[in-house]
Amino acid sequence: MNDSDKLRAIKAKTRTRLLFALVTLASYFAFVLNWVDGPSRALAGRLGGSHINGSLLFFVGLIIFFILLELLFLFIYRVTSGRGR
Amino acid sequence: MSALAKTAIVGIFTLLSVSLTGNLALAAGDLSGEVERQAVNPVAIVMFLVFVAATLGISYWASRRTHSSKDFYTAGGQITGLQNGTAIAGDFMSAASFLGITGLIFLGGFDGLVLALGAFSAWPLLLFLLAKRVRNLGSFTFVDVVSQRLERTRIRLVAIGGTIVVVILYLIAQMVGAGKLIQLLFGLPYEVAVIAVSILVLTYVTFGGMLATTWVQIIKAVLLMAGVTITAALVLYHSGFSIENLLAGAAANHPRGDVILSPGVLFQDPVQVTTILVSMLFGTLGLPHILMRLFTVPDMHEAKKSAFYASLFMGYFYLALIILGFGTAMLLYNDPAFFTSEGKLIGGNNMAAIHLATAVGGDLLTGFMSAVTFATILAVVAGLTVSGAAAISHDLYAEVICKGVPDSHRELQLTRLTTLVIGVIAVILGILFENENVAFIATMPMVVAASVNFPVLFLSLFWPGLTTRGAIWGALAGLVSSVGLIIVGPQVWVSVLGFEEPLFPYNYPALFTLPLALAVTWLFSVTDRSVRGEIDRDNYLRLLIRSEYGPEDEELAVARH
Repeated sequence: MNDSDKLRAIKAKTRTRLLFALVTLASYFAFVLNWVDGPSRALAGRLGGSHINGSLLFFVGLIIFFILLELLFLFIYRVTSGRGR
Repeated sequence: MSALAKTAIVGIFTLLSVSLTGNLALAAGDLSGEVERQAVNPVAIVMFLVFVAATLGISYWASRRTHSSKDFYTAGGQITGLQNGTAIAGDFMSAASFLGITGLIFLGGFDGLVLALGAFSAWPLLLFLLAKRVRNLGSFTFVDVVSQRLERTRIRLVAIGGTIVVVILYLIAQMVGAGKLIQLLFGLPYEVAVIAVSILVLTYVTFGGMLATTWVQIIKAVLLMAGVTITAALVLYHSGFSIENLLAGAAANHPRGDVILSPGVLFQDPVQVTTILVSMLFGTLGLPHILMRLFTVPDMHEAKKSAFYASLFMGYFYLALIILGFGTAMLLYNDPAFFTSEGKLIGGNNMAAIHLATAVGGDLLTGFMSAVTFATILAVVAGLTVSGAAAISHDLYAEVICKGVPDSHRELQLTRLTTLVIGVIAVILGILFENENVAFIATMPMVVAASVNFPVLFLSLFWPGLTTRGAIWGALAGLVSSVGLIIVGPQVWVSVLGFEEPLFPYNYPALFTLPLALAVTWLFSVTDRSVRGEIDRDNYLRLLIRSEYGPEDEELAVARH
């Protein structure tokens, strides 16, 4: 691959990187909604008669979501790395 | 409660100030004043000595494999992704995470999880944005990365300054905490305790370098995760292996009742929460001793795997802390044996995790967790020492003074000498700050790293318009603003200097200092019409290609032996 082809591939990869980063940041800072009037009341609602509420699920869900996002990123990287070089 | 448990609890109380994440500023208790010496207690000490013996053995093994500066700084680049991911997790799963976050959940329930999320979430970003490019561009430190594009001398001096500030601030807090713990466990005078800790760390860092440090971190990570797993399993056993029963029991026994299951007990201001999240996320991405770990693996593929494994282990750890945290509320509040006559938890709220180990696992588990907590401090001090030594011997001496062509033998000698000097400095500062409130010192590194190191690194990798002038002015703006706002904030202005009201309302000002650093960097870059500025912009494309595809040939590669 010459430099122009490499730069084109890099631009695509950079868009992917920034997209994943933006999704992570948006999800991460959405956690602040737990302390904002309105959303916090909704998130504090419990599931059925249990003590598990939306805020706790939000926390657990974020950690699991971020790990899955990383797996997806590594998968995409492995699939595209052969084509991109 | 046994004498052992009480000793361990009081001893580990001193760790309140050694938070890598600054979360101890939010929990009860400061490190100040004299600590009463306790009688020697066998269980924790035996476990501790076993760990010390093991780490010294590792140091001896590593010293036989450490012959060059590359071996010293990056373990020869032969650590696997899994090993490095475990070491990174070990570096970051600090005593403060285990004790501090659990203590916050014990105190205020759900709000304690803010710090857990903040500590965890940097790792996905490390994978997405930094791991590959940093690994491909640098050789030993993140300073190598930024100097690939910018004028190497000036930017190295600025980045070295940021690294040294972060390392020294961390070291003070770690040394004070470690000294207090040794003082309590062994009955040694504080000064002797600090010297003993420093000698121990210097022994395996000076001779074993990053290889010894990495394996100590790995062992510590495994021990800590094992301890947390055992404790969590025992807590679940007490709740009939039901999360519902655990939460119901916590709410029933906690003085605040059901409220602890929702946000709002410790934090009410969303801006305050945001400041914490910003500082921890971007501070982690700018920590020099964490970034340095990306160079211990042979290539960018293993660097990416490192980041993934680190987040996997830490994700598990922080999820387990939910069980531990609410377990403390379920099991401790109804047991007066863990409380003083005034109704306060013995040793402070940050001791809740150790009390929990006592409640579910007795003296054996308590002793184990005490030893692991101390091992945590040793491992972190080792990582910081390697990072600090690399900043002086590699970044300053080899790259700035010797213009990138040092005598290898002399560089390695200087590395070991620098390690000893850092150890001496750590001892002096640990003794000087013995009776000071070091909680504010523990806060500063994350904010400084977020405001100085991260902006320079990120913009070097992703913005074509960055120039040396912009990077330097932005870094200086970040450094001055972060240190200044911390000083006039609640922790220093009120708690240390004694004023009634802080001049700045937040403890973690990175929400304001990071954008300021970025804005100043942008302004001084776009207005830079110098020849050097043009070179910096022109360098971007070459750097970009190498960051994604790796060094093309020996002429471009920066690794040296």
